[in-house]
Amino acid sequence: MKKIIIIVTAFITIMLSSSCEDVVEINLDQSKPRLVVEASIEWLKNTQGNFQSVKLSTTSDYYEEEAPAVTTARVQIVDSEDHVFVFNHVSDGIYQNSYFEPQLNMRYQLQVEYKDEVYTATEIFVPVVDLDYVEQTENGGFNGEQIELKAYYTDPANETNYYLFTFKDEKASFEIYEDEFTDGNQIFGYYSNEDIEPGDEIYIELAGISRSYYQYLFLLRSQIGTNAGGPFETKPATVKGNVVNQTNKENYALGYFRLSQVVETSYIVN
Amino acid sequence: MAIYRLLLSCFLLFPIPTVNAQEIFTLSGTVSDKASNETLIGVNVIIPERNTGVVTNEYGFFSLKLPEGSHMLQISYLGYQTNSRQIELHQNTRINIQMQQSSENLDEIVITEDVEQTDIRSPEMSVNKLSINTIQKLPAVFGEVDVVRSLLLLPGVSNAGEGSSGFNVRGGAVDQNLILLDEATIFNSSHLFGLFSIFNPDAIKDLKLYKGGIPAKFGGRVSSVLDIYQRDGNSREFKAQGGIGVISSRLLAEGPLIKDKSSFLVGGRSSYAHLFLKLTDNPNSAYFYDLNTKLNYKVNNNNKFLFSGYFGRDVFNINQNFRNSYGNAVFNLRWNHVVSENLFSNLSLIYSDYYYGLTLDFVEFNWDSGIKNFNIKYDLNHYIRDGFKLEYGLQNTYYQFQPGEISPTTATSGINYYKLDNKYAVESAAYISAEQELTKTVSVEYGARLSAFLRLGQKNMNFYENDQPVIYNEARDIYQEATPVVKPTANRDEVIASFFNIEPRFALAYNFAENQSVKVSYNRISQYLHLISNTSSPTPIDVWAPSGPYLEPQLLDQVAVGYFRSIDKEHYSLEIEVFYKRIKNRIDYIDGANLIANNAIETVILNGRARAYGLEFLLKKHKGRLNGWLSYTLSRSQQQTPGRTAAESGINNGAWYNASFDRTHDFSITSSYTLNEKWELNANFIFQSGLATTYPVGQYEYASMSVPIYASRNSNRLPAYHRLDVAATYTPHLKKDKRIKSSWNFGIYNLYNRKNAYSITFSENVDEQRNEATRLSLFGIIPSITYNFHF
Repeated sequence: MKKIIIIVTAFITIMLSSSCEDVVEINLDQSKPRLVVEASIEWLKNTQGNFQSVKLSTTSDYYEEEAPAVTTARVQIVDSEDHVFVFNHVSDGIYQNSYFEPQLNMRYQLQVEYKDEVYTATEIFVPVVDLDYVEQTENGGFNGEQIELKAYYTDPANETNYYLFTFKDEKASFEIYEDEFTDGNQIFGYYSNEDIEPGDEIYIELAGISRSYYQYLFLLRSQIGTNAGGPFETKPATVKGNVVNQTNKENYALGYFRLSQVVETSYIVN
Repeated sequence: MAIYRLLLSCFLLFPIPTVNAQEIFTLSGTVSDKASNETLIGVNVIIPERNTGVVTNEYGFFSLKLPEGSHMLQISYLGYQTNSRQIELHQNTRINIQMQQSSENLDEIVITEDVEQTDIRSPEMSVNKLSINTIQKLPAVFGEVDVVRSLLLLPGVSNAGEGSSGFNVRGGAVDQNLILLDEATIFNSSHLFGLFSIFNPDAIKDLKLYKGGIPAKFGGRVSSVLDIYQRDGNSREFKAQGGIGVISSRLLAEGPLIKDKSSFLVGGRSSYAHLFLKLTDNPNSAYFYDLNTKLNYKVNNNNKFLFSGYFGRDVFNINQNFRNSYGNAVFNLRWNHVVSENLFSNLSLIYSDYYYGLTLDFVEFNWDSGIKNFNIKYDLNHYIRDGFKLEYGLQNTYYQFQPGEISPTTATSGINYYKLDNKYAVESAAYISAEQELTKTVSVEYGARLSAFLRLGQKNMNFYENDQPVIYNEARDIYQEATPVVKPTANRDEVIASFFNIEPRFALAYNFAENQSVKVSYNRISQYLHLISNTSSPTPIDVWAPSGPYLEPQLLDQVAVGYFRSIDKEHYSLEIEVFYKRIKNRIDYIDGANLIANNAIETVILNGRARAYGLEFLLKKHKGRLNGWLSYTLSRSQQQTPGRTAAESGINNGAWYNASFDRTHDFSITSSYTLNEKWELNANFIFQSGLATTYPVGQYEYASMSVPIYASRNSNRLPAYHRLDVAATYTPHLKKDKRIKSSWNFGIYNLYNRKNAYSITFSENVDEQRNEATRLSLFGIIPSITYNFHF
């Protein structure tokens, strides 16, 4: 549904032939650095899923090009049967574990100790259905000739599900779906882009996600890219995740800890 | 309470002067235009020797109580020759007065005489008037004459940037304006997402914007009332007029059905289908159209029926994949009845409908939403005696809200049929308002409106644990939606929530010196409908939600004080006003609120408040070859949503923040110069502070994306906005024998091509992998040409 607003905004911008866009210099204030956690545990169906990693960084000045890596934290994940999986720093803020035991619907807790403060986050391992097939059509975009891909899956009936699609061409883009209006149906993840060309190999991944992570991504997406600014902008907000600072609540962390079962396929555009 | 006491004292303390022994008679009648027989609104009917007078009402009616004898009557009105006549009054007398337009003296240079000024003596204040004549000459973007855009040149009226829909009055939101077209409520006043307003200037007779001191006959929106009347149509002879512009063309026809008794008016306007779309062979189209109709029948001097209709749509069709249509439809039937020579009544039956429809073929679904209402109103003007007039009446509106219905367009569509529950409500009001001259220098207007809002039963109702639709997650410091327990409710007759409010209104004018007065006003207004919109400017898809179990009505208190002066034999006028207003129960949205197709909208809404205050300055030159005005507004508009308990942080940490349409300074000069009988030149210059906005104070990287971090909301400002527009109207020499009269309007918008920031967005430049700020400016220099004709 968010798409409607995006289309409307894009349309008003396109139709105003006298409009123009230029890059301007704007001086910005700075906020003090906070811890950022990117802990996306993904378990590809029919694999062991024991190699996992977590990325830690801090916030930075808005115009900074590199995110400062956090290399001195202690990271571990504990499941609800008290199995502890320690993640060790490898390089550039990446922490790895090689003996992780993924279990669907199990509750896990992420624990991070950084600068004498303890951060935790709790989530459930979310399962996912299989991808059925991929369909290619050619009537997307404003000119109606853009290549579009539809990756079909079948939503389980009578339960609430949330999905995260990742389409990787030259760059990755993601789409999130809920099943409020599509419960129990065969439905698709949609991808269209003016850069898609015949012969491209497009990697498609489908992950099951929790409602809370869906809401996080929903807000995250409204805060990045073309959606900001102007009369149809959504209100700017700092996107807060599920990582809680247990030592000092004020010094909250950003980012998210989630666990998803995933399925993948790749498609060659013809 | 102080206000109630004040109001009460008005009724009690000011004695009604006893009637003299001399016999008193009523002089009443209707004022109309001589050429078209169109009734005229707001005409001054004055008895100079008695220093008394009255103004014609919305249907051209007036009534005066005068002692028996001979009286000199002076009738004056904007753009018309002042008419003086002697009246012998020996019984109650009814007269119909016809006025001649001053512009019909073809051999002279027409010097526009503009009386869009507020009457120094009347308690009416905080009112903006613009004549259609003035509006039509103003330079306009793409040369399209626009009512709402013209209002922006007056103090206290602004909008959220070029190309945004609606308008903001005294720091109020767009949904807080009551927009009436022939007394029917209009829910969306914009075409093309706000580039133009829906009012066809050719079809409009009169418009008035109340920013404060709002009379008791109006209610339901807290910020302002834009009261627009359509023309009745010429009942003397057939006339047509029209225009061809860069964006749209117009045609309007009017004429008598039965001479002097009945007339019609039909006006249409349409933009060109491939508007702005550069490729001629593409399958896209975007256009709007309007249809204004009016029929009236004067049965006799005491009874007149008026039927009016408006129908407008915006249509977008993007390569058959995305089809979108929305607009208003309004029909109403009115009966003007003169009950007695001092009692005028009007009964209105109104149907108004706003529709929004969308088809997305690539996901194979249809979306329909809208709001319908049926309104019955009975309004009376009671002219009790010289200097004392009462207005009272009853209003009742039944609403049906259809927040949305999703239906699959194909048998194989993956979308299930889903209908958001329709909502129903009744809004009723009774009001009484008195306008009274207490002494020769003090006059007051006071009254009250009793309003009631009943939310009626609907199919399903949502219930929540602890009655809390929004949950505060203390650990994460975020607000989250509660999961509703849905229960079917009883029938439609059941009242599931009810609200009652007494809304006092008061205004006073003290005419302390010749041509100078001080005025004060206070009003309380309640608003029971909320536009659910989380963007800086509303979009057509936004839905209206009625107050109910989890949504309290907005309640406004406004005080305004003003100084009014007319200078140099009414060549100039000066108006200075200050205002303060506060609004209870202004809603705000939790972060990440999904407003579209949400059947439990209360789960994303928090209750807050709003306040606005400011100073307005207006200096006008009314007469002479050069006329125009200078307007300045200094104001602030803010909102606050504190946490519901001490533990909660609220929105923006519970602190006050600027509204997204807040502008500190707003300055404009509008001028018109009559060069000779063929050429008239117009120019306006605008300078405004940039709109409030939020810039990031940092970023973080997540999933290879740069995510911005913000500190406090709307604490930054876009760069200042300014531009100069010029226009010239050329009217070829008028030959008396030629039937078709025409004129050309040449305009240049934004003459020095200022790149005003419509928005500054911060985003990642994906190619270069770094963040940057991008300025979007909408309108550069835009020349335009419009051809107008009438015959």
